[in-house]
Amino acid sequence: MAFLDLSNLQKSFGGNHVVKSFDLGIGQGEFVSLLGPSGCGKTTVLRMVAGFETPSAGAIVIDGQDITTQRPNQRNIGMVFQAYALFPNLTVAQNVGFGLRIQGVAAAEARARVAEMLALIGLPDLGARYPYQLSGGQQQRVALARALAPRPRVLLLDEPLSALDAKIRVSLRAEIREIQQKLGITTIFVTHDQEEALSMSDRVVVMNDGRAEQIGTPFQIYSQPSSRFVANFVGTLNTLTATILDPSAGEVGMAGQALRLSAPIQGAKGSQIALALRPEALHLQGHKGAVLGQITTLPAEVTAVEFMGAVIRLRLQSGGQALALDTFNRFDHAPPMVGDHVAIEFNPRDLIVLAA
Amino acid sequence: MKRFWSWAAFGFGFCYFFLPMVGMVEFSLRMRRGTYSLDAYRSVLGDPQFQATFGYSAVMALLTIVFGVFVVVPTVYWVRLKLPRLRPLIEFITLLPLVIPPIVIVFGYIRLFNTSSLLPMTGSAFGTDVLLMLGYSVLSLPYMYRAVDTGLAAIDISTLTEAAQSLGASWPVILLRVILPNVLVAVLSGAFLTFAIVIGEYVFAALLNRPAFGPFMVWAGGNKAYEPAALAVMTFALTWGCMALIQLVPRLFKHQRAHR
Repeated sequence: MAFLDLSNLQKSFGGNHVVKSFDLGIGQGEFVSLLGPSGCGKTTVLRMVAGFETPSAGAIVIDGQDITTQRPNQRNIGMVFQAYALFPNLTVAQNVGFGLRIQGVAAAEARARVAEMLALIGLPDLGARYPYQLSGGQQQRVALARALAPRPRVLLLDEPLSALDAKIRVSLRAEIREIQQKLGITTIFVTHDQEEALSMSDRVVVMNDGRAEQIGTPFQIYSQPSSRFVANFVGTLNTLTATILDPSAGEVGMAGQALRLSAPIQGAKGSQIALALRPEALHLQGHKGAVLGQITTLPAEVTAVEFMGAVIRLRLQSGGQALALDTFNRFDHAPPMVGDHVAIEFNPRDLIVLAA
Repeated sequence: MKRFWSWAAFGFGFCYFFLPMVGMVEFSLRMRRGTYSLDAYRSVLGDPQFQATFGYSAVMALLTIVFGVFVVVPTVYWVRLKLPRLRPLIEFITLLPLVIPPIVIVFGYIRLFNTSSLLPMTGSAFGTDVLLMLGYSVLSLPYMYRAVDTGLAAIDISTLTEAAQSLGASWPVILLRVILPNVLVAVLSGAFLTFAIVIGEYVFAALLNRPAFGPFMVWAGGNKAYEPAALAVMTFALTWGCMALIQLVPRLFKHQRAHR
């Protein structure tokens, strides 16, 4: 049985159903991200777990104990907010020790725990400072230490990196993951940033319209999206239309070529099917690191070149379809220019069949 | 030319405001014939009636402040947190003491709480004191409410409340350890205004027949020559002192420095 079990969780505000039958089981020590666009219900799920919203239906069980109707201050769940939410009138040490004081932890033990937490977040000497004397990244680390100090059963992170600048966001997400693994604390992380979700999580829940659209490891979510929404939301995607030639053999026809997919497909022979291909699965013919195995080659014309640092994204037109192709920025290979005619390759096994 | 008229307008305003005060101060120093002295002040400060009435009003002011804080802070906090739609109504209610004359309010009190009523508060000195304190709370409500409301608007009470709840804090703990310390400067501003209002208030105290400082000032004005001027100067000093404290208090709180 899962350590944290959310079963048939629902929430309506008036007639607006924000969360519709949400089920999720989280193992002890697992890091699960709720990923989705604004308004998909991910924050509402988190707030129901925290106790700030009461579910319209369903149950929340932690370690066998039903906490659905428990007050937030009785749940022993730590939470980190997007806006830091440090108490402005308290020093860093007093902020971190706040929960311990509420729990009635002896002063000496509380002092030791605060020092331990400040060392854990790498700010051992800033205990006497006030929140306004810290940078955004430091404030969020203190907020994390404050949430962890009372040793909660579950840690909830509500878009904690959204208010930070890009560089700090990347370093802090690695720190958060490291601390989470060190403490082995069960964590739910809410974000709309797919990079954060994919890089930090054991599992990702992609949410759409109040439901879990797909639950899986970051690899599964990215490589085997179960729906068109997931495929479109996570990463960049080329969508292609093909004709089914042999459903049981997984054979389709596209641009005058017969392609064999990695698995049999649903649908009648001769009907249209939507396929997807990640930009990194497409390669320029003749470039190093090109496709292995069965190769399909298509002619294309470069319509735009986007420099993204380590990667260059080419916008292409091939047989009336717009495609994106990612190639590494290499000193020994100048990228094609706009208007160039190129040959692109891919392995049909990288094609993803999109469900409706 | 434009500059001249600016200075002229400023000079007129300055004279209009300060010359009467200069005259009042000068008059308050002329009790001893032929020379300036502090005799009027000495006489006022040495008057047992002054000490008794000022002490009474000061105690009533402090009680009013404490009562106001305990009523206004949780109310404003709760309305902002849970009932934001009621804010216009609450604001309207808090403005009523500014548009209803105190004499109407106090007659209403006397009618409602006289000795033949269900709650005969005016039947004892203690009951009347409580009634007076409640009346002062009503008079100071517009100022206390606005001060606290402005203080709460400056902090994200919703997130701070949730953060405290997730750390195990109950509602009283949240109010006393999280909310109140963060609006303390605003509360003190309201408190100083309340103090100034209560110290000079006449109508409530006179009609409820309590030995407050306001009625004493009126009595002194009708029966003494130089002392009323000294009393007026002292009252001005007290009010200005309160206003100065409103300005100074934020500097004493370390965590407020970032907001300035």
